Amino acid sequence: MKRYGTLGTVGWQVLICAVVLSVWQWGYDLRTKLPWLVPDLLDPYFISKPSMIFDNFLIQSCLTSKLGAFNSWFNGDFGKCLARNENNLWAATAITLKNTFFGFVTGVVSGFVAGLILGRSDRLSAIFQPFITAVNSIPRIALAPIIVLAFGIGDMSKIVTSWIVVVFLVFFNTFEGARSIDEGFTNAARLLGASEWQITRTVVIPSTMAWVFASLTPAISFALIGVIVGEFIGAERGIGRLIIESEARGEASGMMVAVVVLMLVGVVLSAIIWRLQAYLLRWQRQRSAE
Amino acid sequence: MSALETSATVSPRASADRRVEVKGLSKSFQLAKTTIEAVRDVTFDVRRGEFVALLGPSGSGKSTVLNMIASLIRPTGGEILIDGKRVAAGKATPNVGYVFQRDTLFPWRTVGDNIGYGLELSGVPAHERKERIAECVAQAGLKGFENAYPSALSGGMRQRAALMRTLIVEPQILLMDEPFGALDTHTKIDMHEVLLRIWEREQQTVLFVTHDLGEALTLADRIILFSARPGRIKDMFEVDFARPRDAVKVRETPHYAELFQHIWHSLGEEFVKGRSA
Repeated sequence: MKRYGTLGTVGWQVLICAVVLSVWQWGYDLRTKLPWLVPDLLDPYFISKPSMIFDNFLIQSCLTSKLGAFNSWFNGDFGKCLARNENNLWAATAITLKNTFFGFVTGVVSGFVAGLILGRSDRLSAIFQPFITAVNSIPRIALAPIIVLAFGIGDMSKIVTSWIVVVFLVFFNTFEGARSIDEGFTNAARLLGASEWQITRTVVIPSTMAWVFASLTPAISFALIGVIVGEFIGAERGIGRLIIESEARGEASGMMVAVVVLMLVGVVLSAIIWRLQAYLLRWQRQRSAE
Repeated sequence: MSALETSATVSPRASADRRVEVKGLSKSFQLAKTTIEAVRDVTFDVRRGEFVALLGPSGSGKSTVLNMIASLIRPTGGEILIDGKRVAAGKATPNVGYVFQRDTLFPWRTVGDNIGYGLELSGVPAHERKERIAECVAQAGLKGFENAYPSALSGGMRQRAALMRTLIVEPQILLMDEPFGALDTHTKIDMHEVLLRIWEREQQTVLFVTHDLGEALTLADRIILFSARPGRIKDMFEVDFARPRDAVKVRETPHYAELFQHIWHSLGEEFVKGRSA
């Protein structure tokens, strides 16, 4: 296989970004000259444009006033701006991140434990199998309105929505991982005198880890989706709430700012998972290098 | 002819001397709707410190017998006594070490941590563990690889590490299921040397499953020959080469050739039967 230099790859990536952003920014202006070339969708009313999104970002984050003047940290303008809006971009991001974190962690832990227990017990997995299949067939997001109804418009309903989409994903991966453990490993451990608990700790968990990690990157996006959907349905704060508010005002730039922030949050969280995986599964990396 | 043909009945040795007693052992598997008889009425004893090879073609039930002794599978009939105590299936027997055909080193542990696994299980403190791992690593010629993962090692090195993982807990009975079957001839003979030196020093009781007659002759005090399926004991041969043995030189003696010829014929019949079965 031909190997591409890093510089070439980065060059292409920069070029693609430049083309997309340019079309987004200036594409609609071509409509006056070439109306047949430019679709309606490029109308900034629907999708805004990069420069407007950037300006809107500065306003929503209280870095500038609505007139475009810089809000100074020192004369207190920045602080006053933040105080005026309880759901400013910073607070919204923080609250969405917090709920995503709790939904993700509880989902991963409970999905992992349940997957391990059922994966190691033929009896339990036989008993629960039809229920799991049934519940798994429900599109989890369809439960979000019920969850908001039950848990209110506070943080708890977002965490629960997030949990419910994450838990099954992690559960099924852990379950499969625990089922497919090489019997040679468990036999070897048993013959060296390992107790059932020691086998679980030293053989089952490490060999299931690769499966669990395979589910964590999608799980983090799922957790974020769960929180945003919960916020769409009913919330006082959060990025989902920001999107709903901007939509009500017909403000595409406001929605786009929220979307870009979500994208960045997603990228950062995935990068963290990826780092953790590279460290914990370093024994796998060596194999692939062989 | 020095090959002593003993029948499969109980030997007249003193009972205290018997480490492993296998009595009327049989095993049948249910495969789809047919019953496969893997082992039929196998009876033999192993003396303390004796090196016994279970030799036979594949499908002769020798590995099944070993796995029953290791308590990995439950016999259909008969019983196994180790030091006079009945082996219970599914429960590890203390003092028994097992080396698999395929090294079952844990890929997520470094070589050193793999070797020290047994000590970790029994709660040996870290500093003492470290010392004993270092000894074993040196003995297995794996110096410098303690912190490597098994995937970085060659087949022979991996099997040496697996052997050390078993030996570090100092088992008095060693069960080995074609442990060197996957290695090339040269590496295999190196491993014979390693094993012979360890056995001469530690004097474990060894049960060694193989289909390689040369290997059985090099290592064992006694060869138990298994017939093609269903596995029964066909014959037993005493292998009386002087100890300590040299894994290479022992093969050059006329007596080796003589024994080889004698057993080869008997073994060959079973290979033919095994193929047609």
